[in-house]
Amino acid sequence: MEDRSHLTTLKGAYDHKMMEVTLRVRRYAGEGARAHTETYTVDVPVTATLLDCLDEIKDKQDGTLAFRKSCRMAVCGSCGMRMDGGAVLACKTAMKPFVDAGHTVTVSPMGNLPVIKDLVVDMAPFWSKIRAIKPYLDTGGAKAPEKEWRVTPVQGHLVSKEALCILCGCCVSECISMESDPDFLGPAALAKAYRFVGDVRDGDTRARLKDLSGAHGIWDCTRCYFCNQRCPKGVDPRDAIAKLGAEAFREGLTRDEGARHAKVFVNSAHKGGFLRETELVPKTIGPVAAITQIPFALQLARAGKVPNPLAPHKAKDNAEVKRLWKLLESQAPKQKERANSGAPIDGTES
Amino acid sequence: MQERYAYYPGCLASLSQKELDSSTRAIAAKLDVELIDMPSVTCCGAGDIHEAKPDYHLHLSARILGQAERSGAEVLLTICNVCTLNLRQANSKLQNDPAELARVNDNLKATGIGGYNGGVDVRHLLWEVSQGEGYDRFKSVATRSLEGLKVAPFYGCQILRPAKMLGFEDPDRPQSLERLIEACGAEAIDYPAKIKCCGFPIVLAREQVALGELVQPLQQATEAGADVMVTPCPLCHLSLDAWQKKASDHAGADFKIPVLHLAQLLGAAAGLDEQTLKFRRHITRLDDSVKGKLRLPSVVGR
Repeated sequence: MEDRSHLTTLKGAYDHKMMEVTLRVRRYAGEGARAHTETYTVDVPVTATLLDCLDEIKDKQDGTLAFRKSCRMAVCGSCGMRMDGGAVLACKTAMKPFVDAGHTVTVSPMGNLPVIKDLVVDMAPFWSKIRAIKPYLDTGGAKAPEKEWRVTPVQGHLVSKEALCILCGCCVSECISMESDPDFLGPAALAKAYRFVGDVRDGDTRARLKDLSGAHGIWDCTRCYFCNQRCPKGVDPRDAIAKLGAEAFREGLTRDEGARHAKVFVNSAHKGGFLRETELVPKTIGPVAAITQIPFALQLARAGKVPNPLAPHKAKDNAEVKRLWKLLESQAPKQKERANSGAPIDGTES
Repeated sequence: MQERYAYYPGCLASLSQKELDSSTRAIAAKLDVELIDMPSVTCCGAGDIHEAKPDYHLHLSARILGQAERSGAEVLLTICNVCTLNLRQANSKLQNDPAELARVNDNLKATGIGGYNGGVDVRHLLWEVSQGEGYDRFKSVATRSLEGLKVAPFYGCQILRPAKMLGFEDPDRPQSLERLIEACGAEAIDYPAKIKCCGFPIVLAREQVALGELVQPLQQATEAGADVMVTPCPLCHLSLDAWQKKASDHAGADFKIPVLHLAQLLGAAAGLDEQTLKFRRHITRLDDSVKGKLRLPSVVGR
């Protein structure tokens, strides 16, 4: 190689130190075929990502290996797959730490989506859920501004995390509620929904929240936080779902069992301090459905697990909490913040 | 490990899961640490207040953390995953955003409530006894070996994820429960669902979805040959224990696996008896073989 030592700023760029990476890859040839695992060993630069290793396998060892890829820089969201059971972007996952630890990783397709071939999943159910939440701005009949919507940085920041989503599906892959209820809208679609509910230019907030509050919506989330843990872009979908819950409460949309459940907790805090467990069941699922739970409740009561409803546990000094609740309710915004259509935000004429 | 903790048992250990509270107090006494009671604290909101009324959750947490601070303790000790995450989420905001801390303190002051200076850490019992000096102390009191007992650790969600709020150990490969199970002389059983969800937060609002989630750990722990499961979270416990029959019906299976609170397992190894550990308060009963393996004095002495 020619002497490039004068290129001091690029030092390291020509450093081709290599390492050997061994991968176990889940292979599946398609409908009717049996899935199996194959082991590959590749020689790659020490800077190699999981995607670099898969490319090396496909180029030099086995052209039949199927996986999606495009941008190679964690922007396009194509290369979501599971490594050791957890969803990652292949292009964002450096392999050196695993080599150093002497650990052979296992690569498999994402979960909660049908597998087409090898590491390629069918994203159709994913897209249909994204479409279901109406992923575009609806001004709610408000006249479009003459020039542009004026959105302050603070207002824009309301949805800045959710706007980072690259639709890779890593969160959906790990969603536990979706494993149990495949119709659950799931973390990606709900984070996208908040991206519009929280958008100060959007005027369809109430209708959106009404749709999202029903079956398979906001209140299906079991708060396992796998989505936050797996998202490669810091969207924190679970936090977005919680924001939708708060917006639904602000709009008074609290008919769903999940919202009623949350309401019992909110009220318990200033009506005694601790959760009123005996109120939780009837107030969540309604008095009629609660009757069907009586045998179950008696079983719990026999083990001493049902606190006395007539003498509920009371925390000391709970009057403080009641005052705090009243003060905060008086401070809470009653309406969603909206963008100012056309008015300048810096005091000068545009 | 601290000499004294501001003790926050949370709702469940104070109400329906009292066996967790009595076991925790007893194991703390064995470890020679003081638990300071905070009689005016409220519920942490269980994620529900955080979701429905986030600002109320922040203020309630500040009130709880402020009381812990005034007790003179540096650490608020939790025995529930959900309390741990909820209080840590609020604490992180209050400690890292001076403007928010000032706003919250103004509101607390306006309603006659003592403020919070950001000087308390929130830590779970599991973290305190599974490493460092706390682990050594536990080893020295774990005099009754539970040899022959196969224990399936069940972590639950909110002590592992999101790691940036919890950060005690690798959320995908946790080892703290295994370390303690082995310190008890018992054998830790491995199974993939040990880091998954018990379904408890939605068990009332979406029972069928929750039961589908609950089946996984029960099934895998049973198939792996565990005698008992152990969990650091009373919500997971209630789900795994009290909803076990419903999960059996849901899966067309017949699960019969007793579930222990972490403090009960530690207590059994530290020589505590049924009078303190109160296994009789469980829905899924411990049969004589399991009681024998736990070597409870009442059984051994019989």
